[in-house]
Amino acid sequence: MTGQAGRRPAYFPWFVAPAAIAAVVLAAAMAALLQYAFRQHVPGSLQVGGFTLDNFGRMSSWVYLRVFADSLLLSACTAGFSLVLGYPLALALVRTRSAALKSAILIATIIPLFTGDIVRTYSWLIVLGKNGFVNGSLKWLGLIETPFELLYTMTGVTLALVQYSLPVMVIILSAAISHINPDYEKAAASLGAGPLAVLWKVTLPLSMPGILSGTVTIFAWTLSAFATPQLVGGGKVNMVSNLVYQLGFSNFDFPFAATLSLVSLALIFAILSLLGLATRRLEQAGFR
Amino acid sequence: MRPDGILRLAFGAVVAATLAFALLPSVVVVITAFGEKSLLMFPPDGLSTKWFVRAWTYEDFRSGIRNGLLVTAWASGIALVVGTLAAFALERFRFRGRDLLEALLLSPLVIPHFTFGVGFLILASAAGMSRTYSVVVLCHVILVLPFVMRSVYVSLKNVDPMLERAAASLGARPLQVFLRVDLPLLAPGLAGGWLFAAILSFNEFTATLFVTGQRTQTLPVAMYTYVREYADPTMAALSTMLIAATAFALAIANRFLGLDRILSIQAGH
Amino acid sequence: MEAHSLSIERVAKSFGGTKAVAEVSLKVAKGEFVTLLGPSGCGKTTLLNLIAGFLEPDAGEILIDGKSITRLAPHERNIGVVFQNYALFPHMTVAENVAFGLKMRKVPAREIGARVEEALETVRLGFAGQRRPRELSGGQQQRVALARALVIRPELILLDEPFSAIDKNLRAEMQVELKRIQRAVGITTIFVTHDQSEALSLSDRIAVMARGEVQQVSVPAELYRRPANHFVASFIGEVNRLDCEVAREGDELVLRAGDVSLRLPPTRAQATSDKGVLYVRPEALVARDPGDPEANLGTATVEAHVYQGTHVDIVAKAANGWLLRVRHPGYEALERWPAGATIGVQARLAEAYLFSE
Repeated sequence: MTGQAGRRPAYFPWFVAPAAIAAVVLAAAMAALLQYAFRQHVPGSLQVGGFTLDNFGRMSSWVYLRVFADSLLLSACTAGFSLVLGYPLALALVRTRSAALKSAILIATIIPLFTGDIVRTYSWLIVLGKNGFVNGSLKWLGLIETPFELLYTMTGVTLALVQYSLPVMVIILSAAISHINPDYEKAAASLGAGPLAVLWKVTLPLSMPGILSGTVTIFAWTLSAFATPQLVGGGKVNMVSNLVYQLGFSNFDFPFAATLSLVSLALIFAILSLLGLATRRLEQAGFR
Repeated sequence: MRPDGILRLAFGAVVAATLAFALLPSVVVVITAFGEKSLLMFPPDGLSTKWFVRAWTYEDFRSGIRNGLLVTAWASGIALVVGTLAAFALERFRFRGRDLLEALLLSPLVIPHFTFGVGFLILASAAGMSRTYSVVVLCHVILVLPFVMRSVYVSLKNVDPMLERAAASLGARPLQVFLRVDLPLLAPGLAGGWLFAAILSFNEFTATLFVTGQRTQTLPVAMYTYVREYADPTMAALSTMLIAATAFALAIANRFLGLDRILSIQAGH
Repeated sequence: MEAHSLSIERVAKSFGGTKAVAEVSLKVAKGEFVTLLGPSGCGKTTLLNLIAGFLEPDAGEILIDGKSITRLAPHERNIGVVFQNYALFPHMTVAENVAFGLKMRKVPAREIGARVEEALETVRLGFAGQRRPRELSGGQQQRVALARALVIRPELILLDEPFSAIDKNLRAEMQVELKRIQRAVGITTIFVTHDQSEALSLSDRIAVMARGEVQQVSVPAELYRRPANHFVASFIGEVNRLDCEVAREGDELVLRAGDVSLRLPPTRAQATSDKGVLYVRPEALVARDPGDPEANLGTATVEAHVYQGTHVDIVAKAANGWLLRVRHPGYEALERWPAGATIGVQARLAEAYLFSE
């Protein structure tokens, strides 16, 4: 019965087989990717040539390394900013007694997660465009005469990515903050610490696992972003994902696209493993 | 004002500003959708609902919705069955390869959707099945499986294992225990998990972009194609309708399975 | 020879390195009410789970009416189980809960209805058929669980501390009910509890367990008056443990502690060394006036009283260091021998027992 290695019921293989098939398909897709990374691209066609290490060599040229560098930079900035913006929201979500505020934050956080990339990203085109919200408001306030370009810039993409990542950051941070026993904060206050001191010396340190987890998660997650840089970047700001799409659908160079995809995957796994290691260290040091 | 009061005010202002930032795009989109002119502008010049009509009647969007519903219905249905059975078995039994299987099944949570899309595309063409509905459905099943499984794990925590023993002691064979005791008790959580999965599948863009073609494209992909050609508020209108529909569906799903419970997951790209 | 209703033969079960059940053997006759009694961790619940089939033994056999059931899965054994937390299916009505086992046995629908009604009447819950478990009180839920286990007419019924979650006052009532039903149905019953007064009042026989082993199996009176070892003597009822030195003189044992000297017939002792513990129950000690020649335990100073309604336990310290709990009926002891007073204590050695260290 429960957790018993001894008796497994007759239905067991039937329960596991369909999922095993799905897992095999998944593995096969990743294997196909791996296989293509070592194949020669035949220009102008979808056929692939023989075994080669050229794709990996090609990746080391600055043109492509630059895209990786940009991706890492964008991801790092996004993670940093969403941490700074997300923390107050998470704090408010956990500590507020106002049901209305809780609902507002939850709605702002949950719905975007489910509405899909295209809808979430498209709206930024209107916000950042020449006739959009930012320019419109600045003009209306009399601060500028001619609209300036925010679309297709790193700044614009970062703004959109930060807003995109905010929900996940808030979720992770609020989980960490809600695990902090409020008695610690009460103890600090009773010993004479004002609200800012409590925040700085008690809440922030104790929420460190969440901060670490949130930052690294957003970092890894942003590395896999596609729709946002694709639309808001408009081809001028490229992350690895956009490059992969371009290579695949404009140049039909799937082998190289596969190589880049694989390297991204490896990068993300490495980052997340480091996070796992760091979290375990923190847990050993006494954090939950 | 006491220093405490100033602090509270400042904090409140920060929270309000951040919330405004988070909600800004959605609000802008909704307002723009009611614009009169065919230029994407904010604030809009004049008001009209004609873009909603256009969005609703535009053929590419209609076929996108049809394809989307087809894919989503199949994918979420299959994922529901496969995921429920697998999660139950993974949770209740120990067997060789259990951890590997679980890691593989949950991996879509961390694999970039574009990587997934490329891999799937290559696999599909190797199998001679490029851009068929089956490929899209299979892709979505795998993408959405982790959510169904998580919802099962969460719901199983509330099923008292003594109930299974009681049923067995009364003569129920293991399969009967599952069908008569576990499933009915898991049902509400499963309904919620299924709905979440369906919403995610319908709105999925990145991986779908890679594996669909003109004929099989779902709504998000159709929207992408549209944006690259036209710059009028039709998309804003469609976005507005989608945000409303998603919010509504989420509210229903929340009744079956609390959002807070399934939210230890991050939604993928 | 007629086979026993339940026969446990050298059953053992370990978890990791710990022996939860260490070679236990037990035979239960048809219609007998046997209690597995012991503190938590003694192995009684593990043994119950082994009988039910929820666990597989590492060694040994379990037989019902002479047939081995050791390899059978729980649903293949015809055993009713009543769980500590009732385990009533929350998504079914009371009647559906009781009918469950009958459905599994493919009993025809008409017959199910009649038997469910009969079972509910037996536990005096005939009116509750259409209710949901959560609408019933704890005591009522427990009775439904009992009905559900009995309606399938099992060969054996197992109860796992069924009353531990129930109020003390209600518990006494339910114990009487259980006994009445068990007698009426005549079903072999294995009852698990850590509450020795519950075991003493309900059981035909009690198997006292500790550390995975059966310490003694006997009718309640035997366990109370002739315990087999230190553990049983301490666990059952209240008892005074009096350390002493043991010597043999002829065919009698002489126990010494301080200036107290007692003679004990060897039948009331397991003496294998020169140090022992004399077990005397409070009601086998009599408070006397100091200097009374019957006071074979000498004098003691009263330290406290424990008033129990029907009697008072006098806690007194003897000259030789023994701490004595002496029972005296009524409340006279409170006034006659207040704290600080000196009393003489007589031990009725015919009811005492000695075990070596």
